[in-house]
Amino acid sequence: MTIDGCLAALGDALRVRGVARRRFLRECRDHLVDAAADRGEAEAVRAFGPPDEIAAAFDAEIAARRGIRSTVLSAAGVAATGASTLALVHSADPGTTAPTVWAIVFFVAAQIAAVSAGLAVLQALATRRLEAAPAGAALLARRNGCGLLAAGLTMFAAGAALPGHGSASILLAGPLLVCAAAIAVLRAGALARRLPGSHAVAVRSPLDDLRQLTSLPLPSLAPDRLLVITVCVAGAAAFARDLGEDGRVGQAAVVAAIEAAAVAGCWVALGPALGLRRR
Amino acid sequence: MPTDLRGHLDGLLLAALAEAPGHGYELSRRLTHRSGGALAVNEGSLYPALHRLERGGLAASSWAVIDGRKRRVYRLTPAGRRTLEQSRREWRVFSAAVDRVLG
Repeated sequence: MTIDGCLAALGDALRVRGVARRRFLRECRDHLVDAAADRGEAEAVRAFGPPDEIAAAFDAEIAARRGIRSTVLSAAGVAATGASTLALVHSADPGTTAPTVWAIVFFVAAQIAAVSAGLAVLQALATRRLEAAPAGAALLARRNGCGLLAAGLTMFAAGAALPGHGSASILLAGPLLVCAAAIAVLRAGALARRLPGSHAVAVRSPLDDLRQLTSLPLPSLAPDRLLVITVCVAGAAAFARDLGEDGRVGQAAVVAAIEAAAVAGCWVALGPALGLRRR
Repeated sequence: MPTDLRGHLDGLLLAALAEAPGHGYELSRRLTHRSGGALAVNEGSLYPALHRLERGGLAASSWAVIDGRKRRVYRLTPAGRRTLEQSRREWRVFSAAVDRVLG
């Protein structure tokens, strides 16, 4: 095979487009030209390796890079939307009471946004220096997408429930950042889904990521045990919060039960998409 | 016989970069030269690995003109230097343990 043939095969096998592709092909051409000057064209191409394997490795690398960048944007988008939502709530007309349905949507979506963004950030930090499998990149895109959608829904629920008069720039800051992040996530997800192996089941425990990041002796828990612990912690936190605010044990117990049921329901519905359990 | 480098490539590239900044082909030659030809890798696989080091903040790169040609030159970052030192320590512990077992 000639240098031009090798580069053409590499270009055909690559799925990534744009600047990264052009830079990679330029680097490969320079390498092959130098190697051919030292050792001859045939040996240079042989030593370079199979174009399809190299292209697959580079595609996976760019998918991982885009995934991490989009995670940074998504986390910022979720945080900014949270701030915009708080501004919206504080600018509500005095005495306005939120309808129950919108209040439930608000609290559930807010928690899904926080959990999804947290899972994505943990995964991105834990894998930022490692080889990334396409299934992992696809999972990261799903976690980011879920966080952004839930953040948008949180703000929408607050806006629908509590009419008021807030600063347009503050209220729009969050949604604008979410839109920018959504574009990055869609781009990263689209590349990841085109790669071989991206549709493999990816289950990734946040405890494993935390252990890798902190070196703490955290246990490896099966998904069902992780669910039980999460439900207990969420229920206990809801109980303590409501007891502190209202002081009635009976009502706090009801709130804790609702919280626990909501967490379990979200786990069942979103667990496979967020890589917390198998379908 | 050349030895397969998969799993060690990132550490070896960091070591090659610690010597001096360089473009991909230069780094490939350093790996071959320093190992006396005993370590073999598909040279094309250096580039995904170099991009990975860049993603992790262990290496940085920029275009530079070398011998009249524009080349992408990689250099080690402070984080890369710290990671290299850690890799060296871990490798010494690992190889000493294997030496003791093999005798």
